[in-house]
Formats: sequence, structure tokens, C-alpha cells
Amino acid sequence: MKTKNMILSLLLALVILVSACSSPAPATTAPATTAPQAAEPTVAVAAAPTDAPTAGVATDQPALTLTIWTDDNFTKALEGMVDPAQKEYGVKLVVQQLKFEEVMSQFQLAAPAGQGPDILVTNNGNVGELVKNGLVIPLSLGDVATKYDPVAVSAWQDKGEQYGLPINTENVGFFINKEIVPACPATWTEVRDISRKISANNGDNVDANKYGFVLNETDAYHWYPLMTAFGGYVFAVTDKGYNPSDLGLDSEGTLAAAKYWDAYIKEKLQPAGVDDETMLHFFETGKAAMIITGPWWTKRVVASGLKFEICPIPGEVKKNGQPFLGSFGYVVSAFSKNQSLAEIFVKDFLSREENMRAIFNNTPQPPANLAVVASLTDPYLAAFAVAGKDALPLPSIPEMGAVWEGWTNALTLVSQQRDDPVNAFTTAAEQIRKKIAETNK
Amino acid sequence: MSPKDVKPQSSQGSSGSITLGNVILRIFSLMLFWAGGSWLMLRLWADGYWPFAAAILLITCLITFIWVRPETYPLRWMSPGLVFMLLISVYPILYTVYISFTNFGTGHLIGKTRVIEVLENRKFLPKNGSEYDFALYRNTSGELAVLLLPSPGSEPIILVPGSTIPQSQTGKIVIEAAPPEQIVIDGAQPPYQLLPKNQILTALSELQGVTFGSDEHAVQITGMTKAAALESRYVYDSQSDTILDIKDNVLYKANDENGIFVSADGRELDPGYTVATGIANYSRFIDNPSFRGPLVMVFLWTVFYALLSTFFPFALGLLTAIVFGRNMPGKGLIKSLLIIPFAIPNVISILIWRGLWNPISGLYGASISAIAGQPVNIFADPILIKAVLIFVETWLSYPYFFLITSGALQAIPTDMYEAAEIDGANAWHQFQYITLPLLLVAVGPLLVGSFMYNFNNFNVVYLFNKGGPPMVGTSTPAGYSDILISYVYRLAFSGTGQDYGYATAITVIIFFVLVVITLFQYQLMNMWEKVGENV
Repeated sequence: MKTKNMILSLLLALVILVSACSSPAPATTAPATTAPQAAEPTVAVAAAPTDAPTAGVATDQPALTLTIWTDDNFTKALEGMVDPAQKEYGVKLVVQQLKFEEVMSQFQLAAPAGQGPDILVTNNGNVGELVKNGLVIPLSLGDVATKYDPVAVSAWQDKGEQYGLPINTENVGFFINKEIVPACPATWTEVRDISRKISANNGDNVDANKYGFVLNETDAYHWYPLMTAFGGYVFAVTDKGYNPSDLGLDSEGTLAAAKYWDAYIKEKLQPAGVDDETMLHFFETGKAAMIITGPWWTKRVVASGLKFEICPIPGEVKKNGQPFLGSFGYVVSAFSKNQSLAEIFVKDFLSREENMRAIFNNTPQPPANLAVVASLTDPYLAAFAVAGKDALPLPSIPEMGAVWEGWTNALTLVSQQRDDPVNAFTTAAEQIRKKIAETNK
Repeated sequence: MSPKDVKPQSSQGSSGSITLGNVILRIFSLMLFWAGGSWLMLRLWADGYWPFAAAILLITCLITFIWVRPETYPLRWMSPGLVFMLLISVYPILYTVYISFTNFGTGHLIGKTRVIEVLENRKFLPKNGSEYDFALYRNTSGELAVLLLPSPGSEPIILVPGSTIPQSQTGKIVIEAAPPEQIVIDGAQPPYQLLPKNQILTALSELQGVTFGSDEHAVQITGMTKAAALESRYVYDSQSDTILDIKDNVLYKANDENGIFVSADGRELDPGYTVATGIANYSRFIDNPSFRGPLVMVFLWTVFYALLSTFFPFALGLLTAIVFGRNMPGKGLIKSLLIIPFAIPNVISILIWRGLWNPISGLYGASISAIAGQPVNIFADPILIKAVLIFVETWLSYPYFFLITSGALQAIPTDMYEAAEIDGANAWHQFQYITLPLLLVAVGPLLVGSFMYNFNNFNVVYLFNKGGPPMVGTSTPAGYSDILISYVYRLAFSGTGQDYGYATAITVIIFFVLVVITLFQYQLMNMWEKVGENV
């Protein structure tokens, strides 16, 4: 009992000590100097803010730290830039890798809470949303913009202001099997005639059949070049970017493309149930002679040993169909503590040819930097560049998000022959207009 | 509140009398607890997370109350569990309900004060604004100086932090092509050295927030060698609650109902801010007549799907449990194999099933097509997709019921079966009147839980065919295999961005629907219990 009491008294002393030590601690943390966020829904990022980004380096001056978030495609190249950045600019570049699908959602939550990066690598389709949420600052690229592909640069504009620096571009091309189709078809009528000839002897057994052009029946992104070839469009293009009040899904050109596609399916020039994997598999094994796909797939078709060629998209009303142009690039966070410096860093360092080349060497997507493009030797990338000459940037306006659902449904209905093309696309256009009006109150 | 009030009358089986040591131990535990709690609270308060701090305070008081009052003392070991339930379950639910009364979402992610800050930080170069080339210098005492070259050939201007661009020149330096390596200001020593390139950005970060020039025409660094007299583009006037865009000369007034700054001609200023919208999200969902058509169909299919997705796996699981309840060779191995659908992550297995049902290259799809003589694309058929979806869900869930019913079957006393056999009951009668009622009593709550789970089974429906095939001619996109949750997911998130306010309102409505259905099912369970008692 005596030992027990002694232990308890020791505990008493210890607890008093702990309480005495813990109480003054909160008083030394400076109260928040930022404006009180009384009425705002506090985001549940509960971690206490870390110290200011200037990491204490053992040199005379404190080093400037810039954080950059990216997905796994660019990490290696960016990490290779850390040393030159330190040596030449005295900037400590911290590269943080996130999962591809998490980058945007994490950034949108972390940035306003002060936990976000200074620079973000993202896709140009996200620009509209980022601007609408006030998460990025405009960049004044100045002379730097002239060193880049103008279409790629315009893909990063929103309402006429520049918000990002492009790294690479991406567009689909028209793949043909040279052994079956010797030359690039010029129009979609030609494509249909070639397909008719190839599938003339087709029976009910899908395995033994041969097809001309096949397309994933629910993929609006890959169907878009066909649509533009007939004069269709999603949003009308003005010099200030896309006009969200002019939706073109029920325009003449789009309906013409829809009718073409409907007739194509009716003639059984494409079997039922073609999805992405089936389409690619058919091309690889020679069962389909023509498909539309992108540079992500070149390696695989080269490995299959097929004699193929990448053509520009056939036209019809227009000389060539226009694919979507996607692009990855740098944006600067509006909640960065070093906004203007991050902007300077992007403009002066990240835009340099050797840094863009480093990224290209790691992730061989067609680069946006003209100097790197000029030094390309890969014929396939060059072919994609030709196919993408008239490419239209993937609309980054927020209204685009409302389009995909209805558009995909309309295409699916036509491909699966459950609705006639005019009705399907007109309904879709109405659905989308209603959706846009509703969310833009 | 005196610890002496805590008498051992209600504590069953705990230590006998309360000694002084026990009392002291309890006081100190409470003190420790309060010390830790206060530290956490104050830290959260200092960082601005006051709702969280308030929640911690509430919880600390609650636990103290439980520990100190003799009536609630028996609950003391449950209190950590209660706390976690409050923090992890109740708080997010309350937060979700709170969000449903705001317009939190794309374009309205941050609060008004923050939005004004963001806008006021935006700068622009006015038409007649000055641009400068500059060079940075630092002397051995660490002080910085900036040499401005307004235009080639003109007189340079020298600035130190805090100085304004002088009308008269001090430290006259004649500039040749490149800035000099060293300058001397006002004849003071030590001289300033030109900074090498790799120290410029660091020096700039020191200069950040320091502006040169007069207040109206502050000079800011815009590049590695360029500076400009930038101006704030937006000015906020709290009296009239307006923002003036100086560059385009447009006045935007705050619209606190929609959470955005709007000009007279309807132009909106991005970003908007979050505002409370009352029940606007709910009325938007309910009053919208154009979506009622597909909504009714989707809701009926959801209930139907949840029912069948509970019934079939249960039946199959029960059948399997009965069959494999007997002793047979390889029973262990077979049972392990049967659990596989449950063990594989359902994201992977659903996608594999999707491939298997492809009419051209999928095993099942192609076989059915060959049998039928024509291509059967289940992904295009409104009825077949539903049947196959239930089939896939049965495959995914039956091992769960197999495991449960195996256990529950063993809990049924075997002498009941013997008594029934003596009375002349055959196998089917035994099953119907003994096994099933007793089983349902034990498994009943799990069936209800499975129904609720399948009611909101987003994964299977969305991954299998994204809720398709699409319905024809509806006013909002809807699919034939859409259940309520996937339909409203698209309503909320495939618009112009993420509309969290709308989505949370719909979630709350679905919750109430489920509550009604569940109350219904509790009646059923009570009925089963009564039946089970009479077995």
C-alpha cells in the first residue's frame, strides 16, 4: 500500500508538470493573422499549417521553395530539373506525385486551405473549372508564347486570358492497315465505299468477318473528328474562345454526321457491341482496316508488326475532320505564397527547351515547344501533328461538363439502333441546354 | 461532482471499495485528459478551425460528464466508442446536411472574404504604365538594392527597400550595355555587388511584399530582369459591396443570393463564393417536373433491384450452405474456392464481367449470340441488362450469405429436426417450418442491411454499364439500369462542374426514402421473430 501511494504521488507530480507545460504552449502559437473564416464551410483538411515554405538551408540566404504537383507521367522529368533549378535559380523545387485521378480534386480542396502547391501540372480541359473557382492566376507569357504551338497555347486560355503554359499536345489520328487499304481515304464517303467492299462477303459469324472502319460505339471523343468533318461542332468558336450559348449538337453538320453513322450501322458495316478493346483488337489482327485512335496506342500496333499508316482524318464537308486537342501544362495556384515568383519560374525556367525536351524524353507525347518539335525524328509523332494541324482544343469551359453525358447517350442510341439520329441528337441538345441553364442560374 | 460520490453500488464485479489511491488516480486521469483536450482545442482555435475546436470541447465535456456522474459511470468504457461515432459518423453527416443548405460547388468553393482577397491580388499593367529592366545588388551587410533602367540609354534609378522612385537621382551611374558589377549608393561603403543569377529568385522572395515607388504606382517584379508598375485590377468597396474592375472599367455588385459578383449587364466575375441558399437545392430537386418521368422508373427499378439482389444471393448462399453442410471429401478446398467472388475486389471482377458479356469477344456474350443465332448485345437491351446485372450481383454476394447462413444453420438445434422427422415431416416441410423461420430471425437484420447496401450499390451499376443503355427521349440523361444513386450522381456531378450542395440535398432525400423503407422492414423482422418464437 505504501508503494502504491508513493507511485500515485509521483503520478500526481508528473501530471501537474504535464499540465503546467501543456497550457502555455498554445499561447506561444501566434493566432491566425488571416481573415476570420466565420461563415465559410471549413474544409476538413485538419492538419495544422506547416511552416512557411522557405526551408532553412545552411547557406547565407534562405532558399526559396516551390512545390509542384504532378501525376506519375512527369515526375521523373521534373525531378531531373531539381538540380539545375537549385544551381541556376537558387530555387528548391519540391516535386510531389499524386494519383492521376486525384490531382484535380485534391488541388481544389487543398489550395484554398493553404496546403496546395505553387505550380500544378494538369490537363487543359480543367482550366475552365480552375478559373471559375478562382484557383489559378493568369500568366503573362509574353515572348515565351511565340516559342510554342499557337493552338496549344490557345488551349490554355479562358475568356481570352492565358492561364497555363502547354507542355505537350495530344490528338487522335486515322490509322489504316496498309495491306488492305493502300492509301489514305480523303472523305468519309470513300471510307464507307471501302468498308462496303471489304465486308461484301460477310456472314453472320462475326469471327470470320472482315470490316473496314470500326469505332467504339459509345465514345463521343473519338467520334468527334467524324462529326467535324461533316461540319458539326460542339460549341461555336469565337475569338474569345468557345461560346457556351451556341451548342451545335443539333446543328445541320452534326445531324448529317449522325445520319451518316446511322446508315453505316444499318448496313452492318460494323458489328454490334464494338467497344474500345474490341476495336483495337480487330485492327491488330487485321479484321478491321481503319480505326481512329491516339498516340498512346502506337507502340502496341508497332509491336503487332502490322504495316500501318497514320493519316489525317478524312473530311466530307470540310477538307479534314478536326480532332480534339488535349494538352498537359503548368498552371500557377492563386493560393500560392509565392505567386509571382512561381509565375517567373514557369516563364523563365520550366519553359526552356531543354526542360521541355527532358519531359518529352520521359513521356513521348507530341511536345508543344516548337524547338523540340522541330528536332523530332519519330515519324508517327509527325503524322499525328499533321492530323492535328486543325485540331480544336478540348473545350475547357465549365459548360463542357454538361455536354458529355447527353452526347454520349445520343451516340450510343444511334450506334445501338434504338433511336433515329435526328431525334437522338435533338433530344440530347435539349437536355444539355436545360442542364446548362439550370446550373448557371 | 466530488469523487467521493462515486460509490461502488452500481459497479458490478469491479474492485470493492474506492480507496484514496483510486480517487487520486481518477482525478489525475481526468486532469491529464483535460490537459490534452485543452491543448488540442487551443491549437485548433489558433489555426482557425473553430467548429472542430468546439466539437473537441463538446466531446471532452461529454466524456468528463460520463466519468463523473454515478448514473452514467457504467458507460465509461463505451465513451471512446461514442466519441469516435460522433466524430466519424455523426459529424460528417451533420456537415453534409449543412452543405445541402448552401451552394458549395464549382464556382462557389471559397468564402466571400477570401474571394475578395483573391481578386484584389490580381494585378495588371495599365496602358500608360511603366516597365523597367532591373538588376539586383546586395552588399556584404545583406541589404538589397535595385537598379532600374527605365529605357535603354536613360538615367538609371537606384532603389533600396522602402525608398520611392526619386525625382532627382542619387548615386549617379553611367550605364553602358550591361549593369555594373558594383555600385555605391550615396558614397556609403560597403559597395553593392551585382547578384549572380542563381540568387536572384531568392532575393526576390525577400523583396516580395516590398514595393518600390509611390503608393499609386508601386513597382513590382514581373520577370527575372523585368519590373513594371502594376496596379490592382479590382478594388472592393465595402460600403456599397461592389468591386470595380479598373482595367475594363466595369462595376460588379455582390449578389449574396447566388454568391457571385454581377455587373449591370449580367457579366459574372469569377470566382464566386459560397452562400447559404436555404432549401433551394431541395426545391430544385423536387419541383423539377421534367425529370419526374425517368425518376419514377429509376426508383422502381432501384427497389426491385435491391429486393432481387438480396433474395437471389441469399437463396443461392443458403442452398450452398445446406449442400456443403454435410461432410464430403475436399469440403475445405471447395469452400475456399466458393469464397473467391467475395475475396476479389469487386471493381476488378465487375469489369471482367463486362468483358465477358461483350457480344463479340466475350465468352458469355459470344456464346449466347451463337445460341440465339444473332448478336445479342446485352448492353443495348433494356431488359437483358437488368437480368445480367442481377446475375452479376448474385455472383458477387452469394459467398457472403453462404458464410453467414453456414454459421446460422449450425445454431439451429438438431433435436428439432429429429422431433420433426418423428412427426412425419419431410425435408421440404422441415426446411419451411423449422430452418427458415429460425434462420430468418438470426439473419433478418443482415438481409435488411443487404437491401440497404444494394439500394445504393453504385459500384456494380456504374462500372458495369454506366447505368446505360440510355433511355430514349427523356429530359435528363437516364439509363435503363440506372439506380437512384447513379442517376442522381450524374445529375449533380455531370453538370458544369461539381455541385456539392445539390448532391448533398439529394443524398438527404434518399436517406429519408431509405428510412421509410427500413422502418417497413423492421416490421417484417418483428413478424419473423414472432414466427420464430412459435417454432
